[in-house]
Amino acid sequence: MTRNVTISLAAVGAFALIVAAILFATRPDTPSGAAAGAGGTTDTLVTADAARLNDAPNASATLVEFADFQCPACGRVHPIMNQLVQQYGDRVQFVFRNFPLPMHRNAEAAAIAGEAARAQGKFVPMYDRLFETQADWSESADAATVFRGYAQELGLDLAAYDAAVADPATAAKIEADTAAGQAAGVSGTPTIFVDGEKVELRSVQDITDALDAAVTR
Amino acid sequence: MSTPAAARTEEFARVPAAGGEPAVPGPLPRFLPWLLAVGGALGLIAAFTLTVERIELLLDPGYTPSCSINPVLSCGSVMQTPQAAFFGFPNPLLGIGAFAVVVTTGAALLAGARFPRWWWAGLTAGAALGVVFVHYLIVQSLYSIGALCPYCMVVWAVTIPIFWYTLLATLDRFGGGARAVAARVSGYHAVPVVLWFLLVAGLALQRFWTYWSSLL
Repeated sequence: MTRNVTISLAAVGAFALIVAAILFATRPDTPSGAAAGAGGTTDTLVTADAARLNDAPNASATLVEFADFQCPACGRVHPIMNQLVQQYGDRVQFVFRNFPLPMHRNAEAAAIAGEAARAQGKFVPMYDRLFETQADWSESADAATVFRGYAQELGLDLAAYDAAVADPATAAKIEADTAAGQAAGVSGTPTIFVDGEKVELRSVQDITDALDAAVTR
Repeated sequence: MSTPAAARTEEFARVPAAGGEPAVPGPLPRFLPWLLAVGGALGLIAAFTLTVERIELLLDPGYTPSCSINPVLSCGSVMQTPQAAFFGFPNPLLGIGAFAVVVTTGAALLAGARFPRWWWAGLTAGAALGVVFVHYLIVQSLYSIGALCPYCMVVWAVTIPIFWYTLLATLDRFGGGARAVAARVSGYHAVPVVLWFLLVAGLALQRFWTYWSSLL
């Protein structure tokens, strides 16, 4: 073998080893129960303090959506999800959990704004506003101010909103959402679970089929 | 080189070239014509497809391009950014023109053509501009747009070796000190390309780590 080939292969090998080592070191610590990655139990997906899109005390099924406010696909799913809430809201509990992707610069701040609004019982209006205005703030250098403006327009208590945004517990809750998603095998946004089963999303019908099956179960 | 190459040299003896010079300069005279022909063709196909997808998207804003697989691997979002029309028109139009020249050069070399120095210099200059532009697009794609476009990555992947091996061939063709530099590098000609690819792959891995690790 020439040195040309030897050095090239060595570089590729070293690169592969480094990537494998990082993967190994940073793999999420999944409890053995959820390690299958194909879904989570409804318990781990629906925590008591998770954001809810509707109030359905008599729900016989649960839909959990993991989404990122800055992800364009989530923005396109947003009106569909609202329509489904209209359609199934009496029988299905809709839960929203945050999965902000690091490559979206303002996704984390948007998730925090949503959570701060949730603390005041105004999650759904903030959620609607964030998705509807996605294109306006995605590349904004000062998204936090934009979101504070929304909070004001939605009639939130701004002092409480500012306190929630600054509270490390709010960021920790977003992280907990993301960790729960990773443990359940979320591989992109949006990812939807119906009664703990991941729905393979190709069309709206995939969701309605899963919901129909769940409510008649 | 084998006798057919020598025969070809006879055949094209009218083309002005230094006596005894091989038809294809550089460290890999057999490989370079194929690299230019096949690599250029891949780039041409990618650029052509991107242009067609862009037109489809103009006709129907709701159209989902064939390469929009998910939020990370998506050319629909990439091709609608201002960076996708850097000179005021869609970038792939440049690719269609430029890669056609690369394919033609490769095919001509395969046919036994000899090119004068100025042709090699021009090809290197064009490839260098291509490399600079491609790296601008890599940085934009990774750090500003936040999505990878599969066809664009084909262009990245072929532009780098086309530039590098064209540069080595051109240095060799020019002779003298330039040839000495090329000869010194030639023993390790693949190493810069491999390291270059690994660097870009590493940056893409790092940038979209959550996405890649979730695939496992």
